[in-house]
Amino acid sequence: ADYLDNGNNKMAIQQADKLLKKHKDLHCAKVLKAIGLQRTGKQDEAYALAQEVAALEPTDDNSLQALTILYREMHRPELVTKLYEAAVKKVPNSEEYHSHLFMAYARVGEYKKMQQAGMALYKIVPKNPYYFWSVMSLIMQSISAQDEHLSKTMFLPLAERMVEKMVKEDKIEAEAEVELYYMILERLEKYKEALDVVRGKLGEKLTSELQSRENKCMAMYKKLCRWPECNALSRRLLLKNSDDWQFYITYFDSVFQLIDESWTPPPEEEHSLEGEVHYSIEQAVKFIEERITEESQSSRPLRGPYLAKLELIRRLRHRGCNDEYKLGDPEELMFQYFKKFGDKPCCFTDLKVFVDLLPSSQYTKFIGELLGVIPLAAGAGNGAALPADIRALQQHLCVVQLSRLLGLYHAMEKQQKLTVVRELMVRYRHGLEFGKSCLKTELQFSDYYCLLAVHLLLDLWLEGEDTAVWQCLTLLEEGLSHSPSNAQFKLLLIRIYCRLGAFEPVAELYSSLDAKHIQHDTIGYLLTRYAEALGHYAAASQSCNFALRFFHSNQKDTSEYIIQAYKYGAFEKIPEFIAFRNRLNSSLHFAQVRTERMLLDLLLEANISTSLEESVKSMSLSPEEDDIPWKDLRDNRDLTVLFNWDPKDKDISEEHRKLSLEEETLWLRIRSLTLRLVSGLPSLSHPLQPRNSEKAAENGVSSRIDTVRALLQQLEAALEAGKKFLEQKIQYPVLGPPPTRMAGFFSSGSCQCQTSLFYLVSDIYELDTNGLEDSAEIQERIGNSFKSLVERLTDLFNKCKGDLIEVRDGTLKTHPNLLENLVFFVETISIALWVSSYCDSVLRPFKSNLQKKKKKKKESSVTMPPVFTHFLDYVTELQTLTSNVIDHIKGLEIILTALKLEELSLKDTLLLQEEKKFTKTVQGKVQSSYHHSVQEIGELLKKRLDTIKKLKI
Amino acid sequence: MTTLRAFTCDDLFRFNNIGDRLLLNSAPQYGIPFYLQYLAHWPEYFIVAEAPGGELMGYSEGATVLMLCVFTVMGKAEGSVAREEWHGHVTALSVAPEFRRLGLAAKLMELLEEISEKKGGFFVDLFVRVSNQVAVNMYKQLGYSVYRTVLEYYSASSGEPDEDAYDMRKALSRDTGKKSIIPLPHPVRPEDIE
Repeated sequence: ADYLDNGNNKMAIQQADKLLKKHKDLHCAKVLKAIGLQRTGKQDEAYALAQEVAALEPTDDNSLQALTILYREMHRPELVTKLYEAAVKKVPNSEEYHSHLFMAYARVGEYKKMQQAGMALYKIVPKNPYYFWSVMSLIMQSISAQDEHLSKTMFLPLAERMVEKMVKEDKIEAEAEVELYYMILERLEKYKEALDVVRGKLGEKLTSELQSRENKCMAMYKKLCRWPECNALSRRLLLKNSDDWQFYITYFDSVFQLIDESWTPPPEEEHSLEGEVHYSIEQAVKFIEERITEESQSSRPLRGPYLAKLELIRRLRHRGCNDEYKLGDPEELMFQYFKKFGDKPCCFTDLKVFVDLLPSSQYTKFIGELLGVIPLAAGAGNGAALPADIRALQQHLCVVQLSRLLGLYHAMEKQQKLTVVRELMVRYRHGLEFGKSCLKTELQFSDYYCLLAVHLLLDLWLEGEDTAVWQCLTLLEEGLSHSPSNAQFKLLLIRIYCRLGAFEPVAELYSSLDAKHIQHDTIGYLLTRYAEALGHYAAASQSCNFALRFFHSNQKDTSEYIIQAYKYGAFEKIPEFIAFRNRLNSSLHFAQVRTERMLLDLLLEANISTSLEESVKSMSLSPEEDDIPWKDLRDNRDLTVLFNWDPKDKDISEEHRKLSLEEETLWLRIRSLTLRLVSGLPSLSHPLQPRNSEKAAENGVSSRIDTVRALLQQLEAALEAGKKFLEQKIQYPVLGPPPTRMAGFFSSGSCQCQTSLFYLVSDIYELDTNGLEDSAEIQERIGNSFKSLVERLTDLFNKCKGDLIEVRDGTLKTHPNLLENLVFFVETISIALWVSSYCDSVLRPFKSNLQKKKKKKKESSVTMPPVFTHFLDYVTELQTLTSNVIDHIKGLEIILTALKLEELSLKDTLLLQEEKKFTKTVQGKVQSSYHHSVQEIGELLKKRLDTIKKLKI
Repeated sequence: MTTLRAFTCDDLFRFNNIGDRLLLNSAPQYGIPFYLQYLAHWPEYFIVAEAPGGELMGYSEGATVLMLCVFTVMGKAEGSVAREEWHGHVTALSVAPEFRRLGLAAKLMELLEEISEKKGGFFVDLFVRVSNQVAVNMYKQLGYSVYRTVLEYYSASSGEPDEDAYDMRKALSRDTGKKSIIPLPHPVRPEDIE
């Protein structure tokens, strides 16, 4: 066993063999050997050996544990349940085996059996946890039940009765048991009863969590619409901590509810279960004012009371009340807030929430007032007034962020914007003074100046100013050199490089972000959208792999912790963990990387290093199978990972998210159908079998073509939907969700080529089953398809022509769409070649038959049917076209290498010497990335060209 | 202005939006299993303080709440009572840069101490990089003192030993003689700490 632990599997197998020679039936040794076999890749042998032992239904601990480990490594957790089912039958009183059995069921989610196993355990050893495992299993049955009625009328009431029984017998011991009781009542919507539990004797056990009882009461009051209690409780909690925002929200909600209900307190009685209730605006105003007074005497400044006042004003205004004057002018209040908290980095986000209380006519004046109170020292000469310390810098930064939020910069002319950019950069560089002692892992205090300057430049770029984008990159690279841990700099660089079509620098930036586990799901889209699209195939493979590794490990990891949650009685976490696992399993990004990874593998390998058939087989791909949970797809992307200070109307909206998800789903459907269609190709040809339609049907081939034809129809429908979507011409905000490749797929013409190719497959199949006789019409159709395909592919090539990087008026301009079109070309030609090799497999036997006939008859009257000539011509044309594209790519490479960026006159006099250096680096990176793209694309295309030569029948 | 609440799995999807690093990476060795293990075992110690930004919680329909501030105290109660080792442990504490200098860390530490008091712990402890003076000073201000140095506690991503840690402690009321915080005279190795 030690050998196994050390990873020396071969020695472990040898030792186990030795032992087995001496003791023929030592189960445990067999299992250890099986583990060794499993780990050395001999899964089948390992499985056989394990089953041999399992069939004997072992009851010794060592064998059972070793088998459990083995099955887990085999990803066959369901076998563990069988194992312990047998063990408890033989040793019915073993607490240990019963509990293993329970956990084995938990791992595979067999809730009903868990319930029984829990009770069986409790009968052997009457410990509370076992009983409650059983109760929890009932809740899980109710959660997983499709039928909500059944869940509410059967599982939950049963669970409730089980707990009630324990309550009556006064057997409740642990906090977890009370939590579970509460959970059941809540799910049964018995809020009143739940409230009684929490407020009663049992509730006293709820001590671990912060304000556990209060929070639960509050939740129930809300469900029961008991506003007086909501109000009184939140009021009380605010008296204790006047900075906890959630209670202000409940306080205000309840006050206004009570006002709407014209609630009045009962005479001569307590206002409510929770004490005094506020039910008028006057009381609320007074309460908030008191919190502020109280705050002014506290040692630590609290933001809550001040913000609560603004919140109250907003709510009054929302209701059309005229009472807000009682609280003061929001502009003045915000000004005061700034004076108090302006030096805190959170001041901006705090005020952001309330800026819509300001009339737009006051924006400039408001900003001016704020600036007026910041202690800035007038700069030397013509320079801007600069802050003397970090606090002043922070205050100034807050004002700049607010100016951006209020749209003051957006409204400026180009020259004004450039002036602001200059000023912000002066402030940025000046601010670095304060951060000289910062560690490499810390941010510079003035980083946001730089980021804001870049945002202004991005505006200019989108307005058509080509130079601005290079300045963006320049400033960001400069910023990053001073603040190498700044994730925002990196993220923005990634977005901009990608938009320019340069993926090479992105890989490094992304890896320095050190994105981990779940971030492969939430921000992985930044990589996967562009890597393959820009021809960085190796990087694309790698980024898909990162993500897939994470998603695959999730399944295993979560099961482990679900079991732990049972052990520790963290019942409320169990449904949460399961929901978490489901959320990851139905992730949009997961489905995308799964699909794209397989398409990519086919693109890089199928018919190059292995046959298409083998590739499809090794991926266990089948055209019939659709593994994407279309209805439940979850968009886990974090689309707000990049900061922005845009006004609401320019910011990423819920609508953008919805549209982006729609677009991604449409595109995923197209890609997944393409993959399935390609995976259907090898199954259509049976080179060794006699061509006979009846036989073919027996072999299931005709159902295969039906599948392919059905998929083709679905593809047509998906394309139609995609086209409709694109007609809306949606523009996402520049920092919002990146658009998919769908638009390029259509505009390049690659879409039409690919569909025609799949139609061709259908025609060739028809020829195959029909035979050559009386097939003139089919042959003609195929011939025409060949011709039009060559035309379409040539058109697609034409869409790839042009310079990738050009120098215009002293600036660089990149054409990433040409690069994306090239990538589409390579993919489309690959599909064309797969289809051609199917065609070849159909025509070749026909030809050899004909030649045999020819020899027999020894006459020249047997003419070759036209389809052979058509096919030969077609393949020759494909070859020529591909060679031409390769030549074109060689040309691009030469141009890219010859492009001397140093000679680019950086005319922009605004650029400092320092900046020029960064600009050169940036442009060099883009140039090198394009070079890299073109090389990878060229190499793949050369490999594809080689495969054409095999097609000449 | 923050809302204190329990951490949930869904929070894992949201905490990317942090200035100086992706927050979830603040502790490099922590993967999903780490978070789930804590949530399964000590859910009450896993606290988030969040500030509403963008849309305020009261008005939004849930999805548009922007999380701008995040930090978690993850602690665990460990050790045996008999040997007076039962204690709370701070595993991670991070505050987004935008929400620093507001006393949030102190607030969360207070909560951890409160929970550990309730659980009858003798002390609260934490490990901190020797070089992280800012943090060491902050903890000192909060009443923590260096109990011992743990040699080469931190390792670089290459697996090579990287830096020593201070084990800092604060006695709770149950430790009446404040025995738990009497500094050890010699540094210890990571394998020697229980």
